[in-house]
Amino acid sequence: MKKIVVRNLAKHFVLADRSRIDVVGGLSFDVEDGEFLSILGPSGCGKSTLLSILAGLETLSGGEISIDDKPLAPGENGVRLGFVFQQPRLLNWRSVRDNIKLPLEHGTLTRDEQLNRAQHYLELARLQGFENYFPLQISGGMQQRAAIARALTIEPEVLLMDEPFSSLDELTARKMRAELIRIWQETKKTIIFVTHDISEAVYLSNRLLVVTERPTRVYETVSIDIGYPRDYDDDRLFEITKKVGRLFLQMEAAHAT
Amino acid sequence: MHTTLKIYSIALLVAVWVVLSLLFSADIVPGPIPVFEAIADNLRSGDGWFHLYKTVFRVLLGLLLAMFLGGGLGLVMGLSVKGEKFFESWVMVGLTIPAVVYAIICLLWFGLNDFAAVIAIGVTAFPAVAINMWQGIKDIDMQLIAMGKAFQLPTRDLIRKIVLPQTVPYVLAATRYALGISWKIATTVELIGMSSGVGYMLHYWFGLFSMTQVFAWTLTFVIVLLFIEYALINPFEKRATAWRAVVQV
Repeated sequence: MKKIVVRNLAKHFVLADRSRIDVVGGLSFDVEDGEFLSILGPSGCGKSTLLSILAGLETLSGGEISIDDKPLAPGENGVRLGFVFQQPRLLNWRSVRDNIKLPLEHGTLTRDEQLNRAQHYLELARLQGFENYFPLQISGGMQQRAAIARALTIEPEVLLMDEPFSSLDELTARKMRAELIRIWQETKKTIIFVTHDISEAVYLSNRLLVVTERPTRVYETVSIDIGYPRDYDDDRLFEITKKVGRLFLQMEAAHAT
Repeated sequence: MHTTLKIYSIALLVAVWVVLSLLFSADIVPGPIPVFEAIADNLRSGDGWFHLYKTVFRVLLGLLLAMFLGGGLGLVMGLSVKGEKFFESWVMVGLTIPAVVYAIICLLWFGLNDFAAVIAIGVTAFPAVAINMWQGIKDIDMQLIAMGKAFQLPTRDLIRKIVLPQTVPYVLAATRYALGISWKIATTVELIGMSSGVGYMLHYWFGLFSMTQVFAWTLTFVIVLLFIEYALINPFEKRATAWRAVVQV
């Protein structure tokens, strides 16, 4: 079943001097329910803008998006979306628990329900024992886990992730990726994961879209039919990583001419 | 650890004072004992409390006015580029005019009364408040606001839970700065045109060449300001910024 359908999505910004920048240029793709889809593209392409549009933070300039067969109206979405940013973006003056609880506070849950829910996802992100710590007292990896817990606590139907591990060291990032796969398998969310790291995208996803530089469009789709949990040393993953690497070079060559 | 350090620093200050008072005669640098005796005498007479109350009253009302004017202006300047361009020169002009000029103008316009004193204090202190608030609003992390929007926080919650907590350090800095300025301009106004307050008493004892009383009144007010700092501002700051205790695990 298709969860999200994106057709001919376009986005441009008009700058102060009235020049126009085309960020996304006619992007079309589908996301299956429960799928882990990565969007892989060079730094500075319109990947993050795409997530912002899906989250209702930016309007779209052309094309259409539908979630559960309902068109996405600008500025609102009927579907719950969880967002994990590149930086944790926690509120430093709130404890870990209160950060995770933040998106629940304006909802319909009672205080006890909010606390229980926050506690559940806090434990899922393996942060038990750190409930009352402030973000500046825990490591970068733990902060990002708290940010993931915050996104999950609203029990989103779709989880949008914008290079969430790119600021972590490789060892921590590897642990976090394994944790993310575990959480994804436990919660069965649909995940759209944006990254510029080829091996990360290959390790994580069911399917990945290789997208071009600005204006962003889909260059190639790669399916990865390898079961989870995956092993970093799996030769099949390595083969796919090499293939995607070649695709990148081809794409850059095509762009240069 | 920090408390002992503070005690040492105050002890050193008093020691320097004692040494100086021994080197010079009492009408140039009076020692701590006669000065504290003078303070006790002033406060016992009841008159001392009245002058102290007058100055504190003027300072606090003037401070309130400065926070109100400066806070509003800083908010406008931080939020809108047009506001920034328009009011920037006002704030700079406000900062460059000497405080004594505001004091003279207010006394001439409004007469020798509390109203004039409060206006003079408020107008003198407000540019400093405006600059702090302006900076504070500009330093608000827009990425956190985008986070709040992505989680669909209502505007009221965005302001209360994400914007206001970020301005706390700047509001505190503005308060401290304005408090210092307010007390200085208050004594100036009282010295020029009032018949009550610490400034008036300084003027009176200056006329009688009593260095001991000049020291006594200055010290009295320093103690009041330290009380405001340590009993009110400091505990609030500790509570509001407890999260800064950086301990990595």
